[in-house]
Parts: sequence; C-alpha cells; structure tokens
Amino acid sequence: MFFKGINHYGDLGLILDFGSDSSQQISQEVNAVYALIQDLDMPQLNIIPSFNKIVLAFQNSKDRNQAQDAIEHNLTKANLTNSQKDRKLWNIPACYEDSYALDRELIQATHGLSKEEVISKHTCTSYYAYYIGFMPGFPYLGDIDPSLITPRLATPRIQIPARSIGIAKEHTCVYPKVSPGGWNIIGQVPFDIFSLEHSRTSLFLPGDTVQFQSISEKEFLQIQSKHLAFDEIIKEFSK
Amino acid sequence: MNRFQITRTGTYLTVQDWGRFHYQHLGVSPSGIMDQRIPEALAKVIPHHQNQFLEFAYVGPSLKVEQGAIKVSVGGQCNIFVQKNNNTQIEHAPYTSINLFEGDELTIHNTIDSVYGYIAFENGLGLEPCLQSFATDTKAQIGSINRPLQIGDQFEVSKDVSSWDLQSNEEVNISKQTNFKVYPGPQMNYFSDEVLQTFVSSPFTITTQSDRMGLRLEGEPLKSHISHDILSEGILPGCIQVPSNGQPIILMRDIPCTGGYPKIAIMASEDISKIAQLPPGTKITFDL
Repeated sequence: MFFKGINHYGDLGLILDFGSDSSQQISQEVNAVYALIQDLDMPQLNIIPSFNKIVLAFQNSKDRNQAQDAIEHNLTKANLTNSQKDRKLWNIPACYEDSYALDRELIQATHGLSKEEVISKHTCTSYYAYYIGFMPGFPYLGDIDPSLITPRLATPRIQIPARSIGIAKEHTCVYPKVSPGGWNIIGQVPFDIFSLEHSRTSLFLPGDTVQFQSISEKEFLQIQSKHLAFDEIIKEFSK
Repeated sequence: MNRFQITRTGTYLTVQDWGRFHYQHLGVSPSGIMDQRIPEALAKVIPHHQNQFLEFAYVGPSLKVEQGAIKVSVGGQCNIFVQKNNNTQIEHAPYTSINLFEGDELTIHNTIDSVYGYIAFENGLGLEPCLQSFATDTKAQIGSINRPLQIGDQFEVSKDVSSWDLQSNEEVNISKQTNFKVYPGPQMNYFSDEVLQTFVSSPFTITTQSDRMGLRLEGEPLKSHISHDILSEGILPGCIQVPSNGQPIILMRDIPCTGGYPKIAIMASEDISKIAQLPPGTKITFDL
C-alpha cells in the first residue's frame, strides 16, 4: 500500500496521505480508498480525491473524529481489492483539425513532430482518469506519450473554447466549459462532458479509462449537431 | 401569489444557502453564505426562510413588491428604508421583520465597516435547488439562478406568511477581530522557521483583489525553500495558500476544488465568517 496515514486538515477536515509521487498505481489506490470511504456511509460533506491525497470535509469535529476512527479501522488491503466497480471505458471522438487545435502547431514545433504524429501519439494511448477538479467535470487524464510532454502556456489564455482537449506536463484534459486556462489546446470533442440534467453529472469519473479517436471536421460537425444527451453518449461511446 | 422584482442590484447580489456539498469530487465548489452568523440570526426572525437568502457585498439592492405582500428581514450593518406606496419613507432596523405590501420598495444602503449583508424571505424565494443546493457559484455558473441577479429579476412567493406580527432578534456583533488563531497547513514544512516567524509576527493587509473565492493578502513575502508548486490536492474554505510571489491567499466559499500551491496554515472554520466581513485595507495577524 502507498497509504501513509491520516492527518487533521484544519478543525473540520481530514487528509489521507499517499506519499508525494504521482502514478497510475498510486491513483488506483487513492480511488479505491475513495470508493471504500463512500461505502462507509459517514456524514462527510465532501470527499476530494486527487493524485496522491484524499481530503474530507465535515460539519463538526465530532463527525470528523468518528470518521477518522472508522477509516483507520476499515482501511485494510483486503478491503481495497474489489472496489473498481462501475468504471467505464470511453472511446471519445475528437477533432484535431486546425480550427479546434489552437496550439497543435506549437506542440509540433516544440517536439519536431508532424500533425499526423501528434494525432497518432495522442490517440494511441488509453488514459487513466486520475480525478476531476479545477472546474466542474474537468478530468485529469494521463499519462501522455513522453514525446508530447509540454509545459503549460507561459501566458494562460483568457478564453479557452468549451470542450477543448488540452495537454500540460504529462496530463491531458477536456475543458467542460469556456474557461481561462494554460493548457495547450490540440483538439475538441463534439459534446458536453458536464450535465446538470443527468445523475452522473460528470461524464468522466475517477478511475475511468479514456481513449480519443480522431475524426474529420465533417464527422465532428455531424455529431455536434445531434446535441447528444449523456445517456446517448454513454450508450454510443463507452463500455 | 406574491411577487417582487429587483429594481436595483447593488453589488454582487446572489442567492445563497449553507453550501452545496457532496459534489466537490466532480469539481463543484461548496459556495454558500460568506458570513453564516447573519442568516443564522435572521432565521430566528424569519423561520420559514427555506434556506434561500439573498447576499450582497458593499452596496445593498432595492426590491419592489409587484403583487400581494411579503415578509422579510435584513441582516448586516446597513441602513434599511422602505418607500411606501403613498410616498412616505420608513427606516427599519436590521434583524427585525418588515412587512412589504404591493407597491412598497425596500432599499438597503451600503454595508458600514463590513462587507456582506443578507435578506431572508418568509417562505423563501420560490426556487428549485440545483445539485441539492440554492447556492450560486457565478464562476462555474451553477445555482438555482446561475448568475448574479439583475434588475427586473422576479420572484414568486406562493404561500401566505404564517404571521404578520413584527419580530426582532439580537444583532450580530460584527466585531473587529483581526487576530486569528490558525491550524498548521499540510505544507507548513515548506516554510523555514524564519518564514513561519514572519507569518505570525507581521501584519497582512486584505487587498481589493478579494472576493467570494478568496482574500488576497499583502505583506512581508513568505518564500518557500522547497517549492511553491505542489501536485494539486483537495482544498477547503479557510486554507491559506502561498503562490510563488509569497503573498498568501485565504480561500473562501467559492473555492477551486483542488489547488497546487503549498498551504502554510488553515483558518478555524468559525473564523471564515468573521474574516469575510473585514473590508480591504484591514490589517490582520495570525497565531499558530
């Protein structure tokens, strides 16, 4: 186990520590512990997993202290084995053509790659969804092909178009909504990935696997024009 | 049916409740009331508030009853006037119930030596929750009304109020507490003993670049000898994070859900309401 221990986080919080590194193995354990805590059915207000931490928020310190005992008591290796339930495998259409790929040429120039090479390197890997954060429904996916690893833009964009696919450091993402941000934009998906109408709310959930599939601008516009609801997207693009 | 309309927005007029919980793992901020003490006091005057409060910052709104009658109470350090239909003007005290009838217009002036004020409505504002909460997060555009309110916004309050008797409650004392005891942050070890000494011995000024997301402070820079860039991790209201310029930011209710700056300390949860009311320019100090 990577788990190092539980500490207080202010007067109403807890933080579970899984070390200072980041990897898919660590994240799998984080997300397994996250699922286990959810099943404990404690009165927490929020559980926030990230690369190597889980933060919990409570209403009062009594709830917090009881939860700490319950987690310490239940967190054993055996309890973490069958917690990868309900994980989805996504095959997400993505258009990498110029009008949607604001920084693709910058990536090509940085790494001496052709357009086709960037696309094939981004679409050949199936990414692990580490966690959702930064803004509603924003997935941290990774890890990308080492030859695509690029720092954030020196000057963040004031407005990134909704549904844009970005890369920064060893991660890739999709912006659910128009937002400021510093990720390098290399494409766009043809539907919303955050919905207040569906109980899932966020299309991608921690522990999901996401692979992108390159489509033409014509196909992109066709799918976009259907305004697919979450149920249709799930049916057509996930397993 | 009782109906009123916003006739002046004041500044940053939003619908808030006690917060939107159970969604932060999907990137959704808790949001909610900045100074919880005030709606708690208003709840004693307006018991059927339905957890639907209006919050304003610095300058209060005006609202006019278009049809029927409503019962409200205003909390905060502000002057409150009602322009009656017959052109007389009546001043009201905070934390008292105010009966407003067709044609009456309620106007709340600026918050004195403080930042936030609130209005509670008997029977609420007739809103549907969004992700189990009425709170507004304007940055993420999530809420029963997913933006600040605008002139012309109308609210329908369907039921009759239980009693038109006038009630009042003790005022919330928005004391000028400026020294805050804080808990160690998870990255306190990113700062040397010398820097921690600066953190607890020198004052920090609340700057004008402060809002529902965070209070940006200015003071002696707090430089980490390790890094100002950590792997993003979950954050909660009250976290004091320090970006590379060394100027701390106290995260408030509309937090981004994870953050990549080291957290030197964390405020006591009850102090978040208190510090929210300190206007820009106020000097504060910390105790570890």
